[in-house]
Amino acid sequence: MTQQATRIERGLTAIVLFAVLLLGIAILGWGQQIGYVLHGWIIALVAGWGLLHQISRLSDPEAAIPLAYKDDVIRWGILACFGWGIVGFTVGDVLAWQLAVPALNGDIDLTNFGRLRPIHTTAVIFGFGGNALIATSFYVVQRTSRARLASEVAPWIVLGGYNLFVLLAVTGYPFGITQGKEYAEPEWYADLVLTLAWINYLVLYLRTLARRAEPHIYVANWYYLGFIVVIAMLHVVNNLAMPVSITSPKSYSLWAGVQDAMTQWWYGHNAVGFLLTAGFLGMMYYFLPKAVGRPIYSYRLSIIGFWGITFLYLWAGSHHLHYTALPDWVQYLGMTMSIVLLVPSWGSVFNGILTINGAWDKVRTDPAVRFMMVAVLFYGLATFEGSFLAIRPVNTLSHYTDWTVGHVHAGALGWVAFITFGAMYKLVPWVWRREGIYSLQLEAWHFWLALTGTLIYVGAMWNSGITQALMWQTYDPVGNFVFAFIDTVDAMRPYYTARAIGGFLYLLGALIGAYNIYMTVRGPRLAAPEPDRQPLPQPQPGG
Amino acid sequence: MKSDIDPHSGRPTTGHEWDGLKELDTPVPTAFRIWLLASFGVCVPLWLLYPAWPYVSDYTRGFLGYSSRDAVEAAVADRARARTEALGPILQGDLETLVHDTALKSAYQQKFSVLYRDNCAACHGRDRTGQPGFPNLADDHWLWSGSPEEVEWTVLHGINHTSDDTRYAEMPAFGRDEMLDRTEINAVTDYLLHLNAAPHDATEAAIGAELFAENCSACHNDGAVGGLETGAPSLVDEAWIYGGDRASLQQTLIHGRQGVMPGWQERLSPEEIRMIVLYVLWANNDDG
Repeated sequence: MTQQATRIERGLTAIVLFAVLLLGIAILGWGQQIGYVLHGWIIALVAGWGLLHQISRLSDPEAAIPLAYKDDVIRWGILACFGWGIVGFTVGDVLAWQLAVPALNGDIDLTNFGRLRPIHTTAVIFGFGGNALIATSFYVVQRTSRARLASEVAPWIVLGGYNLFVLLAVTGYPFGITQGKEYAEPEWYADLVLTLAWINYLVLYLRTLARRAEPHIYVANWYYLGFIVVIAMLHVVNNLAMPVSITSPKSYSLWAGVQDAMTQWWYGHNAVGFLLTAGFLGMMYYFLPKAVGRPIYSYRLSIIGFWGITFLYLWAGSHHLHYTALPDWVQYLGMTMSIVLLVPSWGSVFNGILTINGAWDKVRTDPAVRFMMVAVLFYGLATFEGSFLAIRPVNTLSHYTDWTVGHVHAGALGWVAFITFGAMYKLVPWVWRREGIYSLQLEAWHFWLALTGTLIYVGAMWNSGITQALMWQTYDPVGNFVFAFIDTVDAMRPYYTARAIGGFLYLLGALIGAYNIYMTVRGPRLAAPEPDRQPLPQPQPGG
Repeated sequence: MKSDIDPHSGRPTTGHEWDGLKELDTPVPTAFRIWLLASFGVCVPLWLLYPAWPYVSDYTRGFLGYSSRDAVEAAVADRARARTEALGPILQGDLETLVHDTALKSAYQQKFSVLYRDNCAACHGRDRTGQPGFPNLADDHWLWSGSPEEVEWTVLHGINHTSDDTRYAEMPAFGRDEMLDRTEINAVTDYLLHLNAAPHDATEAAIGAELFAENCSACHNDGAVGGLETGAPSLVDEAWIYGGDRASLQQTLIHGRQGVMPGWQERLSPEEIRMIVLYVLWANNDDG
């Protein structure tokens, strides 16, 4: 990337930012709801600030691009990841306590369960998980390609645009701004912001891979790329909608009825499959072997795992709609694909676990490795459970119960967040150029609190889910319910209290982790010169 | 780019290296292949037996001819038949007799309570004693008579509901609609407090008695004893729906009350409605 190219890119970016600025101004000018107008201001201020920044740089001579990895954007991504993580975990535990003690919502509309719940899911999935993926993918693609990110501007647009989207999402929910699609709640204008950021992400990733100095593309990049491509597809298709007018955030989906339900769960299930699975497998395939210093157990297994997961996940969304108006054939096809899906999933589990062969002592001595190893085990547990719950007769028991909630959290707390914490404890000293993490002891505390919290959480939800299901399905011989619904709610109280305690331990661990990261960042910089290998110089045009 | 041997496992690597990372050239484990085949071994029979694959305008039906819609309809019909057989004779009899059938009460009270808790408890409370705004069903004070047929009518059609046969009764907003001014409302309030032997101003109550006779007794009857024909509650039986203190009474007089009870005939079967009626009435009879 030459300085000239950077200048052209700044010009193009300025045009896009100008368009976003106009959108923000239109919303704040014509909007008639407080939350919506607030969003207009946020969009206009962020885009306006970015625009001024780009324009002011246009007149300056462009600085030479150093022959070094572009890590500044990664640092911001890590901070965003932990920031949103703390927000998401806190709101999650507040919700858990609200379920145990409903009066805790204070009888105020703004703190009602229904408005807080999407703040929790968006903050943890997109805020915490998404930023972790963006930050680590930028790190991994540069190191394994021996190339600097292919743009000086685009990485900031990706990270900034993405976090603007998350901010618009979570600030809109208390005001009731939602299109009511689970995990795809944000309205059309926030979706447009994400689309712009995501296209930039895809192009940037492909361009960086294209300028790699290595002859082959490392497997982690396959997973990251699969995640980026499929999320782009899911996001666009599920959010096709017609806004009512510029004066209101409301829009109407292109889909209706059972087609809408199927599109939504095709989206929902593959957000799990590609954001929470493929993306984090990419993370595992770099940080786990790096941390244990061992080669990947089997190259073949990693490639078969990749194609198996990529192919099969896209069929499996219909298992969220068993015994609904969805045609039977769609249900059975989704169910059978979900059964086969376990094979490549566990292929990845074995590939991860067996990679530790020859370095098992590090599970004992290095809490980051322990985090990652346990993450892979939880991945195995959650994928086995997922395939099991996708079987129709099993689903009659589990569907609409807390078992689903427990399953999701086995995956989210145990797999996604554990692999992230493990990777972050490695990545933070690397990108900030520190000797190591501030305190291994605090890291170990974080691990044990997180593990205890997860086990309490998941155990409580298994119990409550199965209890609920059995109570709901108990009939007397003439077909009368033996338990009223409220009786099953009463029966949940001990489990809900346990879950809230588990969630609190998990939050406590994350706070200790955030403090540990903060103290690491504040610590002294490594005196030695960069021990990392450097990117290789790019061939110049015509040279 | 030549592959080297990993000293720990003794396996060759693929010969590539990225940022210090290598991959072993381990073949796919046999167990993995067997499992993959076994998974398809489960799927193929399922595809043959059940609806599974779409083609242009239809889909494969499967050899079992299974359809969830048929299955659920059969199951629902089956249960409905079983219920009619088991409960029909009990529930087709005369309600008045059933209410006083102590054997029936002890055998079915617990079962019928589930239906009550699922449908009625949100307003009338789990123990049938109501809550502010929703009448107590267990105190033998009735708005529309406690005869079983009348209670059944209320459950079927509701009060101030949308159905054509619904019961209709609204307390007008005497203050807001300027039928009575503030001093008159105070006087009526004192009269009602007097009737209930609560602290009040005797002079005001005397004025209030006249106002009551002119404005209220048409529905609430002389002496405020209420009327089962109009659905106007007795104001002297100490069973208050919206509260009998001064502030609540004034609130009611100024803004009126338009409580709604849904009609349940669209949601529950006639048998289920009878179960609920019996359960409610059982709370009021002490003979069993």
